[in-house]
Amino acid sequence: MTAGRRRILVVEDDHETAEQIVDSLATSGYQVDLAVDGNDGLNRGRSAKYAVMTIDRMLPGIDGVAIIQCLRRDGIVTPALIVSALGEIDDRVRGLRAGGDDYLVKPFAFAELLARIEALARRSDTVVKETVLRVGDLELDLVSRTVSRSGRQIELLPREFQVLEYLVHNEGRVVPRAMLLQHVWDLCFDPTTNIIDVYVGRVRRKVDGQQAYPLIHTVRGVGFSVRAPR
Amino acid sequence: MGSGLVSGLLAKTLRSTTLKLALIWIGIFGAVVAALLFYVYLSASSYVRSRSDHAMQTELAGLQKTYADLGRGGLLAIIGQRCADKRFESGVYLLADASFAPLAGNLDAWPSVLHGSSGWGNFIAREWKPAAVNRPMLRATFATLPDGSHLLAGEDIDDIDEFVDQIKIALALSILLIFVIAGVATVSVTRRTVGRIEAINATSRAIMLMGLGKRIPLRGTRDEWDQLAANLNSMLERIEGLMAEVKQVTDSVAHDLRTPLARMRGRLEKAYGRPHDGGHDKSLIGDLLADLDGVLRMFSSLMRISRIETIDRTAAFRTVNLAEIASEVVELFDAAAEDKGGLLDIVADQPVSIMGDKDLLFDAVANLVDNAIKHGREAGHVTVEVTESDGCAVLSIADDGCGIPSNEHQHVFKRFYRLERNRRTPGNGLGLSLVGAVARLHGARIEMLDNAPGLTFRLWFPLPAPKGAMSKEYPA
Repeated sequence: MTAGRRRILVVEDDHETAEQIVDSLATSGYQVDLAVDGNDGLNRGRSAKYAVMTIDRMLPGIDGVAIIQCLRRDGIVTPALIVSALGEIDDRVRGLRAGGDDYLVKPFAFAELLARIEALARRSDTVVKETVLRVGDLELDLVSRTVSRSGRQIELLPREFQVLEYLVHNEGRVVPRAMLLQHVWDLCFDPTTNIIDVYVGRVRRKVDGQQAYPLIHTVRGVGFSVRAPR
Repeated sequence: MGSGLVSGLLAKTLRSTTLKLALIWIGIFGAVVAALLFYVYLSASSYVRSRSDHAMQTELAGLQKTYADLGRGGLLAIIGQRCADKRFESGVYLLADASFAPLAGNLDAWPSVLHGSSGWGNFIAREWKPAAVNRPMLRATFATLPDGSHLLAGEDIDDIDEFVDQIKIALALSILLIFVIAGVATVSVTRRTVGRIEAINATSRAIMLMGLGKRIPLRGTRDEWDQLAANLNSMLERIEGLMAEVKQVTDSVAHDLRTPLARMRGRLEKAYGRPHDGGHDKSLIGDLLADLDGVLRMFSSLMRISRIETIDRTAAFRTVNLAEIASEVVELFDAAAEDKGGLLDIVADQPVSIMGDKDLLFDAVANLVDNAIKHGREAGHVTVEVTESDGCAVLSIADDGCGIPSNEHQHVFKRFYRLERNRRTPGNGLGLSLVGAVARLHGARIEMLDNAPGLTFRLWFPLPAPKGAMSKEYPA
């Protein structure tokens, strides 16, 4: 792991929000630099190597998206998480998303912020091409698309397999509902219904039903997480 | 009061732009007409005069010919005849010798204005027709005969002057009449316009003072004023409807926000005065977070709907397969239907392409299916169908629950609207508002049918233009 791997730049003008973000990231073992305005953010973004930067959409006098575009023009490809109170993903942000950045709407759960930062940080890692994923007694064969626990086969629909695969890929981390919807269904919206919970509930029944211990956990208000008991 | 109103209307009439414009045009038009009539007068009078001059000249030439043919004796005879003839009553004749001493004719003396060997002149002769009361104006021409005597022929031109004067009076009268008629017409048209505008103004003032309940009175003439009034009235109706909706939404937001906020406050207050205890506090905080999330979700739903309604995103529309979207929604909700012991089916064999936003369509269909499962019968049957029919892509969602009474159909798309019997079930009354907004954005028509039992929700989407039509707009 390089020095920049755990280093994060936070560009946020609201004092309390900034403090909360820095706090929760530091607790998770990140080294955090804070920039309180757009220019500071640009300078820091240019001068140091960061794993991820979080940028407030509405900074005094400058749009966060403009900062990212500036940095991109200078050849800086640090993935950015745009944090905004605007509430809706507009076309400019959609364009950025295609370039590997992400978006989070205020107010947010810190678990979701962490999950998204982790996901962005991992993008720069070299992807290990594993064909079998294991968590506890669960085994996912990515080639034959089969699932088993303690050697016993579990029948999953293709989409259910994708859900489990994504959760297992992020083992130990929280996967927010919207991220699941985005990666498994390729949809960019916060569902107004509790449908993701119901769907994951069924996957959970198939995977965790009549087993020694549960693997899929619900993180209240945020999403889901797969982890084996220690 | 009444006279004040009338004088107010008069003052408004006088200030009116219509009146000022009309007066300017009447001035221009009147000046042109006056110039034209003056020209008519000039040419008529000069025509009449030249005709009379021509007649005198012809007469003089005739007399000269008589002299040439018959000599002085013949000429004297003719002049005598003419003077006695009633038909030549207004004629003036005189033959005088070389020193202008009269020889024959109906003038006693040679008029002093005529001298030389020939020419024209106007004069008044005291002795011509002594019986006449007023001395008429005469006009004559003369020539000198070969023997040196002077021959004069002329006539009484008072008649002509009288005729020309009559023309003059007639023309002046018609100019006057034109101005009077135009003036009266202008004032009456202006008063009418001002009156109708005043009705609109009065209504506007009443609306500003008393609210949107007022309407502009129609006169039943179906003219442009009535049309304007009718259009303004329907605009007012629309605004009133929107205002009522906004008020209803504001009230609902206030109510639906207050309820969870009051709950949270109560819990916090109770916890504040209570000795702290880890397990208790944790569950309290968890409940508070859940409530807060509910409030935030309601806000995002509201924002989402209003953004769909206000931002035109049709430019970002792509070709999407409605059948595929519906299938994905059904697959997602299969688990939810199963939880209720029900059945969720889809009939969508053929791909059905429309232009749209996948995320929004997905959310809308998800809301409809969610409603059908939630409000359908326990262990009920929900069927989703995607077909093409009548040049439309048709998406229908049918359940066999208790349906929606037909008198409620028009209300269910209102924000926060909830059927009385559903007050206790989870939901915030925004789902169908979102469906309505997405349908409007996609130009889709919504139909609600009684499924006996249950409800069928049908959305008619316009199909995209055929490829041939597209290639005209976007040549390869």
